[in-house]
Amino acid sequence: MTAPSQTAPARPAATLPRALGENRAALAFGVLLVTWIAAILFAKGFDSVSSVRYLVQTAAFLGIVAVGQTLVIMMSGIDLSVSGVVALSAVVCAQVASGAGGTAGIAVALAASVLVGLANAAGVTWLRVPPMVMTLATGTIVAGALLVYTDGSPKSAKIPLLGALANDRVAGVPLAFVLWIGITAVAAWLLHASRVGRYVFALGNGERASRASGVPLARTAFIAYGTCSLLAGVSGLVLLGFTSTSSLTMGNPYQLLSIASVVLGGTSILGGRGHVLGTVAGSLLLTLLTALLAAWNMSEGVRQITLGLLIIALLLAYARERRS
Amino acid sequence: MPDRLTGVLRGNLDVTGLGALLVVLLAVYAHYDSELFTPASITILSAQFLPLILAAMAQSTVMLAGGIDLSLGSVLALAMAVFAVRAEDGVLLAGVLALAAAVAAGAANGVLVAYAGLPPIIVTLAASFVWGGVTLVVLPKPGGAVPSGLVNAYNNGWNGIALPFVAIALVLVLWKAVRTTRFGLSLYAVGGNEHGAYASGIATRTVKIGTYAFAGVFIGLAGIGLAIQTGSGDATIGAPYTLNSIAASVLAGVSFFGGVGQMRATVLGALLIGLLTNLLLFTGMSPFYQLIVQGVVLIVAITVKTLATRERTD
Repeated sequence: MTAPSQTAPARPAATLPRALGENRAALAFGVLLVTWIAAILFAKGFDSVSSVRYLVQTAAFLGIVAVGQTLVIMMSGIDLSVSGVVALSAVVCAQVASGAGGTAGIAVALAASVLVGLANAAGVTWLRVPPMVMTLATGTIVAGALLVYTDGSPKSAKIPLLGALANDRVAGVPLAFVLWIGITAVAAWLLHASRVGRYVFALGNGERASRASGVPLARTAFIAYGTCSLLAGVSGLVLLGFTSTSSLTMGNPYQLLSIASVVLGGTSILGGRGHVLGTVAGSLLLTLLTALLAAWNMSEGVRQITLGLLIIALLLAYARERRS
Repeated sequence: MPDRLTGVLRGNLDVTGLGALLVVLLAVYAHYDSELFTPASITILSAQFLPLILAAMAQSTVMLAGGIDLSLGSVLALAMAVFAVRAEDGVLLAGVLALAAAVAAGAANGVLVAYAGLPPIIVTLAASFVWGGVTLVVLPKPGGAVPSGLVNAYNNGWNGIALPFVAIALVLVLWKAVRTTRFGLSLYAVGGNEHGAYASGIATRTVKIGTYAFAGVFIGLAGIGLAIQTGSGDATIGAPYTLNSIAASVLAGVSFFGGVGQMRATVLGALLIGLLTNLLLFTGMSPFYQLIVQGVVLIVAITVKTLATRERTD
């Protein structure tokens, strides 16, 4: 895709603040708003302050992963290993914390997460493995390593710091949400205001041309994949704080949902176009839909089908790509 | 004559290379299992490897047309569940239903890929959610029962005939036949150069839908085979097949960009992965290491392929 990023004709939405300059990111917030109003009007239990609070708190788990996924997708990559890394970070933290204390657990977990991201970047840049295959493979290796590491039975752990991060509030706002918004702000700077961000966009719009014009592929990939894994690790830690237990499969939903958040947030799946703020809307939308489905009494299978169909329908509705 | 021989070898670089690797692996294997080359052992091994071989063939089919199927494991589990649930009321009907389910799922994937304008990775990843849900509806808990006579005949041979082996041979013949048809040619053409194929009058969308549906036949047979081999159904058993089918295809030299690859190499690739996994168990390694090894095999295989092709093209 070497098409210029401003292919969409100027529409009224373009008069919105520049932060939402891309039409699709603004559209994502519009869809979110409409869905939320519909939920308040037609479903029970979505009209209270506490429900909003719970929603933004649980959306933070997905949202933090999705912010990292945005960085990778923006440079035409994809990270299928996030599910493994979420579990890795929580499981390793719980395991280490039971022996060496919470702080050590957090440090080791985050270091292990970043390591996976660096391995992804190394495979993608140096070995020239397609991102999908590389991250699928590392995700599988991580899952296997966790099986070996825990002997199949991961531990639970109560770590006060993580518990507070996941459950406490500041002036009525859940701390997890504050953390998510803080991370998004930093990511917005990294992606939309820094030099690295420009490299990311350039690579997303055309790798050959960018490399020819001196964009450092390796460095950009290491930053993007490393950050993505780090954030997946952070999300795993917050999840550990939220549930006080770790499991080998706890990251599984985040693989598809994080990618869907990014795409529903208006970022092109082919990279090079979009805004990280749209991803926030995408994560909130998907969490809202999940909560709506949970409100209806459905079996696990039916719920999974409905969510899958909803995601496909949403993708079809406004994330289509016109491929050359 | 020697020139011709080297020419043939060069033309089948992937098959020759894999064949050589396989011979080495078999030699090591025979060291651990002295009864490897007896009919009983071949029957059991072919029963064990059939799902992976067929899954790999399905993935290769899709990849040859320039696609990828991340929902393969879910569809395989779906076919397995349908067969296991219905097997007691008549094996033939159950088989037809399981095949129909897999083909329908494949066709649905194909329609989405052809018309959605989204990359196959995303479409099939989202679809895997749906098929996983359908499988859970069909079979919420592991269970179902396959008649024990069939299980026995399949795993231990029927009148001395290794049924899974025959099944794989028949499927390969089917592939050979389909390859020579207009559809088979179009499949390679669409994978090799979609625009060119479209320009020369091939209905690329129909071919894509047909490709995913046809791969569904292989996936369905793999699911049925897995159900017969294990004697029951399990909704969660399909996941590893997605990665392993990609790994086998990559090992076989099937290109990610479509149009390049040979099915017999895919069969050898799947055999290699299956034997390697078994060998790990023989050496006394914990089965927990399987996932690690499979991931590493995939990375190594694709790295070797990419570096080798880059030398040729750059």
